[in-house]
Amino acid sequence: MSVAPSTRHSSYDTPAQAQVHALRVESLAYRVTVGEESLDILSDVSMAIAAGESVAIVGRSGSGKTTLLGLLAGLDSPTEGAVWLAGEEMTAMSEDQRAALRAQRVGFVFQSFQLLPALSALENVMLPLELAGKDDPRERASDLLQRVGLGERLNHAPRQLSGGEQQRVAIARAFAAAPKILFADEPTGNLDAHTGETVSDLLMALNREQGTTLVMVTHDKTLAARCQRQFHIEAGRVSEVRLNAKAELGL
Amino acid sequence: MKSAMRFVANLRDFRDRSVRVVLMALIIAVATVGAINLFAGHLQQVLVTSSSAFLAADRQLDSENGQPIDAAWYREAQSRGLETAEMVRFSTMLYTADTSQSQGQADGGAGFQLVSVKAVSDGYPLRGQVEFQAGPNAAVEALQHGPAQGEIWVNRRVLALMQLDIGDAVEVGALQLSVAGILVREPDASFGFSSLAPRVMMHADDVAATQVVQPGSRVEYVGLFAGEDSALESYYEWLQPQMGASHEWDSIREGQTLSDSLARAERFLLLGGSLAVLLAAVAVAVASRQYALQQRDTVALLKTLGLQSGQIRRHYQRRLAAWGVAGVLGGLALALPIYWGLSRLANRLLDRPVDIAFDPLAIWPAIVTALVALFAFAYPPLARLQSVPAMRVLRSAVSEQHRGIVKDIALGLSAVFILLCVYTQNVWLVAAVFAGLAVLMLVLGLFGWGLVTALRRVTGGASAWRLALVSLFRHRRASLAQLTVFAMVLTLASTLYLLRSSLLTDWQMQLPEDAPNHFLINIAPEQLDSVQAFVEQHSTQAVEFYPMVRGRLTQLNGEPVKEAVSKEREVRALNRELNLTWMAEMPADNELQEGQWWPELGDRAARAVSVESELAERLGLALGDQLVFTVGAEEVPATVTSIRSVQWDSMKPNFYMAFAPGGALDSLPATWITSFHLPDEKQAVINEFTRTFPTVSVLEMEHLIVRIRDIVTQVGQAIEAILGLVLAAALAVMAAVVTATLEARQREGALLRTLGAQQSLMVRSTLLEFALLGWIAGLLAVIAAEGALYALQYRLFEGDFRWHWPLSLSLPFISAALLALLGRWQLGPVLKVSPMRLLRRLD
Repeated sequence: MSVAPSTRHSSYDTPAQAQVHALRVESLAYRVTVGEESLDILSDVSMAIAAGESVAIVGRSGSGKTTLLGLLAGLDSPTEGAVWLAGEEMTAMSEDQRAALRAQRVGFVFQSFQLLPALSALENVMLPLELAGKDDPRERASDLLQRVGLGERLNHAPRQLSGGEQQRVAIARAFAAAPKILFADEPTGNLDAHTGETVSDLLMALNREQGTTLVMVTHDKTLAARCQRQFHIEAGRVSEVRLNAKAELGL
Repeated sequence: MKSAMRFVANLRDFRDRSVRVVLMALIIAVATVGAINLFAGHLQQVLVTSSSAFLAADRQLDSENGQPIDAAWYREAQSRGLETAEMVRFSTMLYTADTSQSQGQADGGAGFQLVSVKAVSDGYPLRGQVEFQAGPNAAVEALQHGPAQGEIWVNRRVLALMQLDIGDAVEVGALQLSVAGILVREPDASFGFSSLAPRVMMHADDVAATQVVQPGSRVEYVGLFAGEDSALESYYEWLQPQMGASHEWDSIREGQTLSDSLARAERFLLLGGSLAVLLAAVAVAVASRQYALQQRDTVALLKTLGLQSGQIRRHYQRRLAAWGVAGVLGGLALALPIYWGLSRLANRLLDRPVDIAFDPLAIWPAIVTALVALFAFAYPPLARLQSVPAMRVLRSAVSEQHRGIVKDIALGLSAVFILLCVYTQNVWLVAAVFAGLAVLMLVLGLFGWGLVTALRRVTGGASAWRLALVSLFRHRRASLAQLTVFAMVLTLASTLYLLRSSLLTDWQMQLPEDAPNHFLINIAPEQLDSVQAFVEQHSTQAVEFYPMVRGRLTQLNGEPVKEAVSKEREVRALNRELNLTWMAEMPADNELQEGQWWPELGDRAARAVSVESELAERLGLALGDQLVFTVGAEEVPATVTSIRSVQWDSMKPNFYMAFAPGGALDSLPATWITSFHLPDEKQAVINEFTRTFPTVSVLEMEHLIVRIRDIVTQVGQAIEAILGLVLAAALAVMAAVVTATLEARQREGALLRTLGAQQSLMVRSTLLEFALLGWIAGLLAVIAAEGALYALQYRLFEGDFRWHWPLSLSLPFISAALLALLGRWQLGPVLKVSPMRLLRRLD
C-alpha cells in the first residue's frame, strides 16, 4: 500500500490561494560544503509568483541565479526551505514524483538549446508530448514548429539549423506539452542581438497566449525589462526590483 | 624534467573513460593472444609428448625386411644429439621351463603358448611409460625402463593361460628367462594386426641367445629416436636417401587416428586465436575513435593557444606509446596467470607432466598484436586530430565526425588480415573468415536496416515499450552500428561454440563408450558358427564377421604395379600383403564416393572390387582400372567399380579392397575377422574364449581406446579454455561499444529527466531497448553462425552439419539478457548525472 505524499500547506495558505501562486518559495537556502568550510550559495530566499506572471532573475555571474532556477524547477533539492509548484510541495517529493510533475506542468528553455543531436527537429519537439502521454504527438509537434516558423524544416537535424533556429525548436519543445510554468535559462545568451530579439518576441508571445507563467534567468537587460517582475540576486540573497508603474500594470 | 612532466600528463590521460576502454581492449587483446599462444605451445608439447608415447619415442624407424637397423644409423643419430633405443618384435612359442620335456601339465594349464615378443634395449621407452605390476595383487607402477636381462614380463592373459607365478622360469627358444612381473600396458600399443598373440617383453640383448631369430625369419626391427624437432628433421634428411623400400619413418603427425584429431584441434585453436585478435582490434578501434572525437575541442583549443600540427601529432603519438606500454604490460600480467592455470589443468591429465615453460618467443605475437591494434586502429583517428581546425573553438564544423572512416577501416582490415595470415600460416582460413565476415556485415546491415526502418511508424508514449522502440528508430545510425557489431560478435562466439561442440561430439562419436575393444582374428571357416554364437552371447550389440584373404596387388592395367605407380607415390600397402575381403552390404560407417555397389552392377559384380578412397588416390586408381591380385599362387583379376571412404579409427575391421560375395575370392582359403565390445566386468570371458578357441587370435584394444580418449579430453579442455577467452574478448567488445555511447546517453538522460521522464521509466525503456537490440542481434547471429558452420564444417573440419536447435532457440534470449545487463550497467552513470548539468553547461 503506497501512500501519496502529503502536501504541506503553510498556515495562512488556503487551497484557493495556493492556486493563485504558480510558484512559491519559503526560506530557501542552499549550502555546499567544501572540506571544512561550508559556503552559502543561497540563503533565506522567499518569493511568490502568481500564475501567468513573467519574472526575470538577474544578477552577476556566480551570484547563484542558475542554482535558484534549478531549485525552483525541482532539478535539485535545497538544503533548507520549501518550494511549492502549482500548489504542490516539490521539496517533499521524490525525484520521480518531481519528474512526473515536470512532465505535466513544466517547460524548459536552455542557453545551449539542448536539442538531442540524433533526433530531427520534429522528434525533439515530440519528446515532452510523448513523456506526458499526450495524443497525436506528431501533429501537435508539427503545428508548434509551424508556429515558430520552422514548418519547412521538420526533418532537419539540429546541426543543420542555425543557433536561432535551434532555439526556436527548443521553444516549441518547451511549449509543446502546454506547461503551466516555463523556466528559461539565458534563452538569448548564445544568440546575436537581432536573433535574440526574435527569440524573445516568440517567448513572450507564447507566454501571453498560453497564459504560461514564465521564470527566466537572464543577463539581457532588454529581455528582463519585458518581464512583469524582476528579482535581483546578489551574494545569495534575493530582492525584488521595484519597476515602474507601466510595467507593473502589464501594459 | 620535461619528459617527466610529459609522463605525468600521460598518466592523467588514463583517467579518461575512453582511454580506459582502449587500454582494457589492448590488455584483453594482448592477454588473449599471449595466453592462447603460450598455451597452444604448451598444448602442442603436451599432445606431442602424450602422442609420442604411442611410439614410445618421437620417431620410429621400422625395418620389415628381417635385417637389423644399421648400427651406424644409431651412431649418426646420437652424434646429432638424439636419444635412441632399439626394439625387436617377433612371434614365438613360450614354454614353461619344465614342460618342454614333460609335454603339458596335468591340471589343464597349457605348458606352451604362442606369444608376440617385444624385446627392448636400455633406454626404452624414450617417451611415455610402461605400466608394470610386480605381482597379481601388487600396485601398478609406471616405469621408464623395460625388463632387465634374464627377465621376462608377460601380460595377464599369458599368466592365466599358462598358470604361471611370478618367479617361474619360462623358455624362449634356447634361453631360460624368469617371469619378473606383469606387463599391464606398454606405451606403444600396436595398431596393426601383426601382433596377434598375447604380449611378452624381454631385453633386446637376450634375443641372440634365444636362437629364435635367424636370418630370414619373420621379425621386425624398430629404431626409436627422440629429441629436438630440428635435430629429428635434419637426421631424417640425412637418413632418407639411405632408406630402403622396407624402411618406414613414422612420426605421430603422420599416424592415422590421432593426426586428424590433432590437425583439427590445431586449426580450431588458430581460428579461436584469430577471432580473439579480430574482436580485440574492433574494441580498440571503437574506443579510440570515441577518444579522438572527444579530443577535438582540446585540439582546437591547443591550436588557438599556438600549438602547431606537428606538436599535436607528437603529443598524441606519445600518448599512444604510453597506452601501448601499459597495454602490453597489463596484458602480459593477465596472460601469464591464465596460461599457468590452463597448463596446470592440462597437466593434471598427463602421466608425465610437461614442464610449464615460459617461452619468450610466444610473447612476440601478443606484442605485435598490440602494436598493430594501436597503429592500424587507434592511430588513424588520433592522427587526424592534427588537422582539426582551430576555428572549431568558435564553431564546430559540420559532420567531420565520419571523415576518413572508410580509409581507417580499410587500413585496419588489411593490417589484421596480414597479422592473421602470419599467425595461422593459412591464407585460406583467414580469407574465409574475412569473406564470411564481409557477407555477414552486409547481410546483418541490410536486415538491421529493414528492422529499424519498420519501427518508423511507432510513435512514443509514456510506455517503456514505445519509448524503447522509438529510441531504436530515432538513434537508427547508432542502433544499426551496435546491432551489426553485436550480431557479428555473437556470430563469432557462437560459431566457435558450435564448432567446439561438434568437434567434441564427432570425436566422442568416433569412440563411443561401447566401441569395439577386442578383435578376433584367424577364425577358421568351420569355427565361424560357434565363435559367432559365443560372441553374440557376451556382446551387447550386433557383430559383423568378415572373411579375410591375404593377397598382394601385383598388376595395374596390365603393368606390374611397381612400375605403374611412380616412385614418389611409393605406398606402404604395396610392400606387404593386403587383407582382401568380400561383403554383401557396405559397413554402415563406409561411404560410397564414386561408382556403384554390387546390385547395380549385375553380372559385372563377380569381377568387381571396391577400393578405399585414400589408397585409390595414392595409387592414382580410377573407376574401370584393371587390377590383378596374387593370392598364394593364384592370380585374381578385378575391375575397380567403386571407391569408398572408410573410418579407420572406428575400431572395426576395415579393408582397402572389398569384393562381392560369390565373386573371385570365394573359392580361396579365407579366415574370418570381427571386432566387438566386451564390457569391463566380462574381461574374464576372454580367457574362456582362448581356451575354447586356442587357434583364434585375440587382440585387446582397451588400452589404446583409453589413451585416445585421454587425448580427446585434453584437446577438448584446451578448446573450452580458448573458447572462454574468446567469449571474454567478445564481451569486452560489446562493453566497449556500449560505453562509447555513454556520453550521448548521459546528455540525453539528463534532458529526459528535466523534461519529466521518471527514472523507473527510463530504466525500463533502456533495458527494453537493449534487450530488443540483443534479441535481434542474437537471432541474426544464430542464422549467420549456422551458415558459417555449414561452410566451415564442410571445407575445414570435414564433419557433418546439423542444425543446432538448443542454441538457435536460446541465443536470442541469452543475448537479450546479456545486453540488458550491459545496458543496466551503463545506465548507472546516466542516472547519476544531475539534470542540473544542463543548466551548468558542463557538456
